[in-house]
Amino acid sequence: MTNTADVVVIGGGVIGSSVAFALARRGTSVTLLDASTPGRATSASAGGLWSLGESLGLGCGVILHTAQKDAGDGPAPLPRTFMDFLWASNLRFPALAAELRTLCGIDIEAEAATGLLYLVYDEEQERHASRIIEWAGSDHGAVEKWMPQHIRDRDPLITHDLRSAIHFPGDNQVNPMLLTEALKRGACAKGARYIAEARVRAFRCSNGRVVAVESDKGSIACGAVVNAAGAWGAQIARLASIEIPIQPVRGQIICTEALRPGTLRSNLSTRDCYILQKAHGEVIIGSTTEYCDFNTGIRYEDMCSLAAGAIRAVPALRNVTLKRAWAGLRPGTPDELPILGPAAELENFFHATGGFRTGIVAAPLTGEVVAASVLGQTPEFPIEPFLASRFQRIYV
Amino acid sequence: MNHPAIVIIGGGPAGMSAAIAAATQGLSCTIADEGFDLGGQIYRKPTNPAHTPAPHPRGENLRAEIARLAQHISVRTGDSAWGIFDGLRVAVTSPDEHTELLQPQAVILAPGAHELVPPFPGWTLPGVMTPGAAQILTKTMGVAPGKRVLVAGTGPFLLAVACQLIDAGVHVVAVLEASSRPAWLSLPLHGFRTPEILAEGLAYLSKLDRAHVPVRYGRIVVAAQGETELNAVEHAPVNAEWFPDNNRVETEQVDTLLLGYGFVPRVQLAQMAGCNLELRPDVGGWIPVRDRNLATSVAGIFAAGDGAGVAGSLVAALEGQLAGMAAAWFLGAIDEATFTAARDPIEQELARLKPLRRALDKISALQPGLMSLVRDDTIVCRCEEVTWREAREAICAGSITYRSLKMTSRAGMGACQGRFCWPFLSRLVAAEAKCSLADIGPPSARPPLGPITLGALASEPRDK
Repeated sequence: MTNTADVVVIGGGVIGSSVAFALARRGTSVTLLDASTPGRATSASAGGLWSLGESLGLGCGVILHTAQKDAGDGPAPLPRTFMDFLWASNLRFPALAAELRTLCGIDIEAEAATGLLYLVYDEEQERHASRIIEWAGSDHGAVEKWMPQHIRDRDPLITHDLRSAIHFPGDNQVNPMLLTEALKRGACAKGARYIAEARVRAFRCSNGRVVAVESDKGSIACGAVVNAAGAWGAQIARLASIEIPIQPVRGQIICTEALRPGTLRSNLSTRDCYILQKAHGEVIIGSTTEYCDFNTGIRYEDMCSLAAGAIRAVPALRNVTLKRAWAGLRPGTPDELPILGPAAELENFFHATGGFRTGIVAAPLTGEVVAASVLGQTPEFPIEPFLASRFQRIYV
Repeated sequence: MNHPAIVIIGGGPAGMSAAIAAATQGLSCTIADEGFDLGGQIYRKPTNPAHTPAPHPRGENLRAEIARLAQHISVRTGDSAWGIFDGLRVAVTSPDEHTELLQPQAVILAPGAHELVPPFPGWTLPGVMTPGAAQILTKTMGVAPGKRVLVAGTGPFLLAVACQLIDAGVHVVAVLEASSRPAWLSLPLHGFRTPEILAEGLAYLSKLDRAHVPVRYGRIVVAAQGETELNAVEHAPVNAEWFPDNNRVETEQVDTLLLGYGFVPRVQLAQMAGCNLELRPDVGGWIPVRDRNLATSVAGIFAAGDGAGVAGSLVAALEGQLAGMAAAWFLGAIDEATFTAARDPIEQELARLKPLRRALDKISALQPGLMSLVRDDTIVCRCEEVTWREAREAICAGSITYRSLKMTSRAGMGACQGRFCWPFLSRLVAAEAKCSLADIGPPSARPPLGPITLGALASEPRDK
C-alpha cells in the first residue's frame, strides 16, 4: 500500500465522499481519511433536497435571521447565488443516482416528485409566505400557493387547521447515508483509497505547502489536502495554522417506526419542525438548530416539542411509535454559506466544509467544484462567493 | 411533583434489593418496571394464583419487604423507563401514555438481561422462542408454549425452565445442552462452597429424570423445519468448539423449540447516560465499568445485577443491596463506617458465590461452531429481515462497525436498535472482517429504549 496520494481528503461524510468521488473519476489518486466521530451531520440528516425551501429561509437563515431580527429587518432569503448553487446541485441527483447504481449497486433512494410543502398556520406566517413566493421568482420552476382543499385532496393526513401552504415542486429527498456510502464506494471503484479511523493529528508543511498528512493510521505524503471535516473543519484547519469560522450547530431529530410507504406524499416544513417519510416508511421529524459546542446529546424537552410539532402538522402521527432520537453537528458559518475552495494561507490546502443545513443537497456540485479547484480547472459554478477569504475582513 | 431521591430502573432481585436497602435508610425510592408486578423475570408472579409454578419464596420475601416499606418506596409497575437525559433525568411513560421526567439525585440501573439467540436456518419460524418467553407464557398467562417442546442451548436456566414446563403439564421431549457432560461434571469442584446451588441443580436433574426427559449433552440444534410453523428440529453432536458433526444429525418432531444461549446485559440506559462500557464476553458482552461500590463512571449512577454483567439472581440481589447502600452513602444518608460495615458481609457472600459462577460462565461460553450454522439466506436481523448474504456483502464492502453496517444493510436499524441481533451479529462480523469485538463496539443506544408513541411524548404534564 502506497502512503502517498495526489490528494488527501479529510472527512468521510457526504461532502468528503463527494469530493473524493469527483477527484477519483477524474483519474486523480485520492486517499479519503475518515474518523468515526459521533455526531457527524451526514448521519443526522433527514436527506431533504430542499434547494429552494432552505435557501429561501424555511430552515436555513436561522442564524442570519436572528441577526437580522435584532437589526429589525425580519427574515430575508440567503443570497441568490446560493440558491442557484443549490438548485444546480439538486439537478445533478437523477444522473448521479444512475451512475452510482451502475458503479456500486447502491440505490440512493433519490425520490422525485415528492415536493416540499411549507404549512402556513397564521397571519404572520402568511406574510412571510407571500414574500417567499415573491423571492422565488420564476427562475427555478413554479413555487405555488396551495389552499386547504387542495392540500386535503392530495395529502389527507395533513392537518385541516391551516391557512395555506407553499409548494416547492422541485424539492425532493434522498437517503443521505446511502448517498454517502455510494459516493465512498464509487470513489473506491475509481481507484480511491478509503482509510477508516484515521484521525488527522498534524500536517507537515514546507515552503507554504502541505507535504504530508499525519494520521492515526500513518503518514501520507500528498500533493494537496481537502478539509471536508464538517463541524470539525475549524479544528482541522487550525492544525495547519488556518482559521476559519466554523461552529458546530446541533440538530436533534426523531424517527418513527416504518409506516406504509406513501403515507405522507409531501415533505413538510412547518414553523415547528420538518417531517418527511423515507423510502422504507420511517417518518423523520427534525430538527433543532442550536449552539452547544460538540455536545451530541438528546434533550428530553426537544424530543417533546418535535413530537408536538409533528402532531400539529399531521395529527394521525399521535398514535405512531417513535423508534429513536439522535443528533448531529452541522458545520455552521456566520453567513450560513459554505466555505469552498483554496485557502489563502497554504498553496495546496482546500476547504469543503460549512455545509450547515444543506450539505446533502449541495454535495454533488460541491464535489465537482472543489475537485476542479484542486486540479486547477475552472469550476462549473463560480466559487468566489464561497471562498474562505470573504471572512478576512472580519477575522483579521 | 415530588422527585424521589433515588430512581431504580428494574424491579427484579437487584432492583427490589436496592430499594429495600436504600428505603431502610429513610430514602425515598421509585422503582420503574415494565412488568405487571415486581419480581423481574426470575421472580415473576403469576397473574392468576392457580397458574404454576408457584412464585419463588425469595421473590415473595422481597415483595413483602417492599410492601412493608411502602412509605418510602413508590412502585411504578407497567411503566417504561425509556431514556436518561443529562445524567440523572429519567423519562418514564405509563401504560395510559402519560410521560413524566423523574429527577432524582441518584439512579440505580437494574434492568436485567435478555436472552441470546444465535441465528440458524429456520430460527424465525413460529414455534421457535426463548426459554424466557415460554416462562412468561406459563407464569403470567397460564398458557403452555406448545404440545411437544424441545429445550436447547446452554446453561442451568434451561433445566429450570424445563422443570417449570413439566409442572405446567407440558410434554418436554428433551433438553439439549451444547457443552459436554464432563465439563458439567466438573462443577462440584468449583461449587463446594455453594452446596445449596449445586443441590438446586441436582434437584432439576432428578426431576427431569423422574419425568423421563433426557438431558443430552454436547448437542446443538442445527436447523428448524417447517413451512409456516415449526414441525421438526434437527440437532447434532458437537466437538469442544461446538462445530456439529453433520453426519450424525437427528430429527425430532416437535411444535415448539425453546432456544437460549445465555444472556446479554441490558446496558442501553447506562450507555445513554454516558457511562463508560467495557467488553466482558464472560459475563455477556458489554457492561458498564463499575467500581467496588457499583458506581458507574457517571456520578450518581449505580448499576447492579445481570444488567451489569450476567451472574444470576443471588448475585443480583446482593449487588442490589450494595448499590442501595452505596447510593445512600453517596446521598449522605449514612456515613462511611456504616456503609463499609454493610459492604463487608455482602462482599464476602459475593466472593463465596464467585467460583461456581466463574465455572458456569466458562462451561457456557459461546463457541465459534455456532457461527457455522448461519447460511447465506439465514436472517440475521429480524426487525429488518436482513439475510446473512446481505450483511456479508456490506461487510465485504467495508462496513464493519455497527453504524456503517446498519446504514448499508439495515441490520440493527429496527425498533430493537440491534439489542436482539447485534450480540451475535457482531461475532459474525468480527469473524468475517477478522477484527475484534472491541473494534466493532456495542450498538449505539438512543432514546426511546422501548416503543412510545409521539402522543405519549407530547402529552401535557398531568399533575401541576
